[in-house]
Amino acid sequence: MALEVQPPDGRKRVKVYELKDNDWFDRGTGFCTGQILGEEPRIFVESEDLPNRVLLETRITKDDGYQKQQETLIVWTEQNGTDMALSFQEAEGCAVIWDFVNAVQQHLLSLTSADDALSDDLDSYQSIVLPGPELGNLPEIEQIVRAASMTQNGRDALSKYIIRDEYISKLVPLVTMAEDLESLIDLHRLCNIMKSLILLNDNTIIETVVADHIILGVVGALEYDPEFPTHKANHRQYLADKSRYKEVVPIKDPLIRRKIRSTWRLQYLKDVVLARILDDPTFSVLNSLIFFNQMEIVNHIQANGPFLRDLFQVFDPRNPDQRRKDDAVQFLHQCAGIAKNLQAPSRAQLFANFISHGLFAVIAFAVKHLNPAMRTTGIDILSALLDHDPVMMRGYMLKAVNEKKTPLTDTLIDLLHVETDLGVKNQLADAIKVLLDPQIPMQDPLGRAGPDYFKVRNNNLLSDAFVQQHFDESSKRLFQPLKQLANRTALNDLTFQEVTLYSHLVDILTFFVRQHLFRTRNSIQSESLAPRVAQLLRAPQKHLKLVALKFFRTLISLQDTFYQALMTHNNTFELILDIVYETMPRDNLLNSACLELFEFIKRENIKPFILHVVEKYREKLENIIYVDTFQSLILRYDQMQGYGAEADATLFSQDESTAPRRIPLNGQRWQGAREMDPAEEDYFNTSDDEDEVGTFWIETIKWTQDRVATADEPSSGSASAVVKPLVDYPDDDDEDIMDTKPEGAEQQPVASPTEITEVPASSLTQTPPAPPERIAEKRRREEEDDDELSKLTAGPKRRSSTSGNSGAFNMNRKKNLSAGSLADKNASPGVLNKVTSAAPKRIAINIGSTAKPPVSETDNPRTEVTSESYEKENRDDSQGNEGG
Amino acid sequence: MSDLDQAIEQLRGCRLIPESQVRELCYKARELLIEEGNVVSVDAPVTICGDIHGQFHDLMELFRVGGDVPDTNYLFMGDFVDRGFYSLESFLLLLCLKVRYPDRITLIRGNHESRQITTVYGFYDECIRKYGSANVWRYCCEVFDYLALGAIVLGASSTLEPTSNTALSSMPADSELETESLNSRGEVMMSTYRPRQRSSSDASTDSRNISPPRDISAAPGQAAAPSRSGAPGTGASGDGNGSATTSRTGAVLCVHGGLSPLIDSVDKIRLIDRKQEVPHEGAMCDLLWSDPDEIEGWGLSPRGAGFLFGGDIVKQFNHLNGLSLVARAHQLVMEGYKEMFDGGIVTVWSAPNYCYRCGNVAAILELGEDASGGGTVARSNGEYGRSNGIVTDNRVISPGRRYRVFEAAAQDTRGMPAKKPVADYFL
Repeated sequence: MALEVQPPDGRKRVKVYELKDNDWFDRGTGFCTGQILGEEPRIFVESEDLPNRVLLETRITKDDGYQKQQETLIVWTEQNGTDMALSFQEAEGCAVIWDFVNAVQQHLLSLTSADDALSDDLDSYQSIVLPGPELGNLPEIEQIVRAASMTQNGRDALSKYIIRDEYISKLVPLVTMAEDLESLIDLHRLCNIMKSLILLNDNTIIETVVADHIILGVVGALEYDPEFPTHKANHRQYLADKSRYKEVVPIKDPLIRRKIRSTWRLQYLKDVVLARILDDPTFSVLNSLIFFNQMEIVNHIQANGPFLRDLFQVFDPRNPDQRRKDDAVQFLHQCAGIAKNLQAPSRAQLFANFISHGLFAVIAFAVKHLNPAMRTTGIDILSALLDHDPVMMRGYMLKAVNEKKTPLTDTLIDLLHVETDLGVKNQLADAIKVLLDPQIPMQDPLGRAGPDYFKVRNNNLLSDAFVQQHFDESSKRLFQPLKQLANRTALNDLTFQEVTLYSHLVDILTFFVRQHLFRTRNSIQSESLAPRVAQLLRAPQKHLKLVALKFFRTLISLQDTFYQALMTHNNTFELILDIVYETMPRDNLLNSACLELFEFIKRENIKPFILHVVEKYREKLENIIYVDTFQSLILRYDQMQGYGAEADATLFSQDESTAPRRIPLNGQRWQGAREMDPAEEDYFNTSDDEDEVGTFWIETIKWTQDRVATADEPSSGSASAVVKPLVDYPDDDDEDIMDTKPEGAEQQPVASPTEITEVPASSLTQTPPAPPERIAEKRRREEEDDDELSKLTAGPKRRSSTSGNSGAFNMNRKKNLSAGSLADKNASPGVLNKVTSAAPKRIAINIGSTAKPPVSETDNPRTEVTSESYEKENRDDSQGNEGG
Repeated sequence: MSDLDQAIEQLRGCRLIPESQVRELCYKARELLIEEGNVVSVDAPVTICGDIHGQFHDLMELFRVGGDVPDTNYLFMGDFVDRGFYSLESFLLLLCLKVRYPDRITLIRGNHESRQITTVYGFYDECIRKYGSANVWRYCCEVFDYLALGAIVLGASSTLEPTSNTALSSMPADSELETESLNSRGEVMMSTYRPRQRSSSDASTDSRNISPPRDISAAPGQAAAPSRSGAPGTGASGDGNGSATTSRTGAVLCVHGGLSPLIDSVDKIRLIDRKQEVPHEGAMCDLLWSDPDEIEGWGLSPRGAGFLFGGDIVKQFNHLNGLSLVARAHQLVMEGYKEMFDGGIVTVWSAPNYCYRCGNVAAILELGEDASGGGTVARSNGEYGRSNGIVTDNRVISPGRRYRVFEAAAQDTRGMPAKKPVADYFL
């Protein structure tokens, strides 16, 4: 046989990789050529150092699954099963080799399919011949198509025939013919035929369907669905409407223009035309076609310097065309939306490119826009960036502060204070949470450290003191309205806007406290925010009360002496008990929330609170008899007194086996980490070893990185150290976790992993705290016996005492933070990330030998699966035989 | 016509209301829901519905079959959104009805009423698609956090009044109608009977036998308008022993998923702070995620959240709490409903042809009012001492259960279900 394919000219510089033990092993750099040696097409790579050394010689066969990834990467599996990759220096070189491989494969394929037709597959290939595309033949065509769709062989044969014969384009004219004849039955048949052909689930067919000259005919036929005989859809009208395509800056490349069009059509097919009838394979074919198109489009855009310049120049203040600016924001918004589906490295590249062209200015433009919809769009873009890489974003922000520019956070905070659109306000609050989050969430202290992450940590960005200072200043600005509550005696005249603002602020504060209790101490103390939040417990708006209550409930769960003191040296519990009195014995949300709070104290046996509450409010407690919670508290107190020191010793053990585990806290957006604080404490209290610190944090970073891409899982208090899958399809890996589940209802269901890890941590916080803490606490105690007023004036004194002690903690953290702020660089260990990231490796996390659950809890698809495969998985589920 | 009525009209026509109105609606709903307990008390008669999943046209069919709000009282057991193409229309309509007729309709939370789940299974995308931003999704998620976790139905009648077209002759003598299954045209497809009630000790023949059979024939009323007179089947328990004034019919607990190993009594549910995203574990999670299964004790759930629980667990729980039945949803059942464990638990599924292709029928469960006069507990979400109202007699009789089974809305009435395409595109 003669190969008609021309081998490509020239040598392309390339790196050769081989997959060994799940790592891409670099076989060296060399020059790649495509050759045909005596009928055999081959790819050669000669080493650039030793020209005679051959790094790679491989024969191209028709069956090898060659894949082109990104612009510069070709990946395939050798006959012997080895995974190989070529990473080209130039996209152009990659394209040349790729074309060669393709041409060879197609040629080989055409030879073999001819062979095959004459050999073993004889029956199936020969049996599929469709009658000529004429109206009169439609019944027969429909029948053959349907029959062929039943078997895999039939489907293959039919697909081949349809493609070879370009049958679809021949069918298309029949649609208008049938319409002219008003032959509904023919139209129904055409619709059925088109449906079956699309559901053959063949890439080529689907790509044909969305081609310019064919699409309208196809959707035209699909407008006449026999299942809805009295309806006719108007797909053609929608798809023919050219005005739907907006162009801010013309994209000149005709190929890309075509891709944009066909992507749009594919989406329409997927979401509208075929939404009801799509089976899973076709759905994923559509999705992957869309995905690859989008990837190419986005890559084209970001590699197109002049285009980007034009695009961002639209925002030049001298440009009077507002409309065009708005469109450009929308354009970027869509890019950001698409970017979410991309793999992390390409997404990082795209965003980095945008940012260097001035994306932040665009966001600033959009969030100050008069139109709330535009503000929403602007913050959406920001959210996409934050979801992508919060650390990078914080880095940019701190850089701005360092350079004495107004940081984005200040803009956002000011906007939050005045924003009237509640949706926008909500988004603003979320964005601020992430931006001000001064550290990498400590999700998993024991994640496995990869060598790459050590490299990352050496380039420290900014000192911890600086970060703390910025955090304090921003907090001060942010919580200003809350602070001003001090001047308010009555809360009966709160406006709607105020109520919303306060609930956002308290919510953010709760988030801060939970996320990094040490860092937040300063602001809470110096701005005396806790009494302000306590004030809100008296607000007439019940949901505001709830938000305030949640704040204190969070403080309680932290089991931290500073925050404990904050609560016991105030009348906070009195206010909470007031709510119990107000609501009892009505069974409502507020009442349940209060009961839960006291139940928690009882269950966790938090001694300082039990002492404080019973000592100060015994009478009040005694009068609450509709549940036994309060009586038990008193009982617990009396036991404490009775058994004295001995009782103390056992107090910190978990003695209530029937009680549920810690009830989780409120779930929020962007809550990367939760309840990490016990672990954090643990760390501070035990380890000063530098090396350990290093690993500890690096591991954290690595782990976090894996989550960053898919951030935004709402998490749930205690369970959050590890996130469990919440997706209702049978999930393989979970089986082993629940082995510890009980037999009977009376027992606690899981030998709770959270408990196992948390107990030591919480008892650590209870053991004698650091000396400065004690002193501070004492000093406060003396003060707070005074009335409210004097407390307000006592500000400075207290401030000095506590800021000193939290500073000590901060010293310890320096290292950690700086390491953390760099984690974004992780995206760079080479182009091959792109390859591996398609199948993320599972990260084994082993907290303790007995605590099994956390291991599998990382299986949450949101953390492990890249967006693309992730979507597929979910789709699998959506067959929904076991729904809900 | 008030704004709310107008919104209801509009939504019934499957047309969305403006974003600002959604916001208003959600705030009103929040004010209302914050007053509800984690377990809402509901009085019979009530019609219990399972998953809806955004199948708006089928929800309309449900109202056609079950009667309209406010003529019929409804209890929806969650999963209003995701999967179908009209989650917004469905949920907003239900929410409007809730705000308009708070005592006539009860909504409890399903596992899909969650931020995390809705971002994956369609509701989030639908909000973006139909409103152009995630705002409406945020408002709705905020409401989800306030939804009650369960409901308890009190005062249900232990026996069904036969529907008008019941073949009375087929009713065995000295028995009463316990369950009945009707198709969407109101034709009886299946009925079960149980021996006329005896006192808790089954041996002695006592006053119960005095109810003459003719009373039964006197009773038939319209299915839609149950007659309050006579009701001899229940009268026996009411007049017979005046001391036990409350109904002998045990209460019915309704939750989306099922039981939790952390919850041994209904009152324990009260101690949950429910205003939060559905957690990944713990009592609140279990209530929304668990499934009954033919096992003993507890098992791990293939869903990765919640548990499987066996008949012994249900029996024990019902006994301990004076319940006669647990009604739940959460699992597709091809027949629309499925009773398990000797009628101790029932799954009700109200999304016909689920995902537009599963080919199942749907069902709703009607519980009649105990007309004997005893045991009426005033409907109040904040009722104190709810559990005291429950007879803790060792034998509780299950309520009469009428299932109305229906199929997906006729094609003609609903147009082609499809998602809304994007308006403009740049890429």
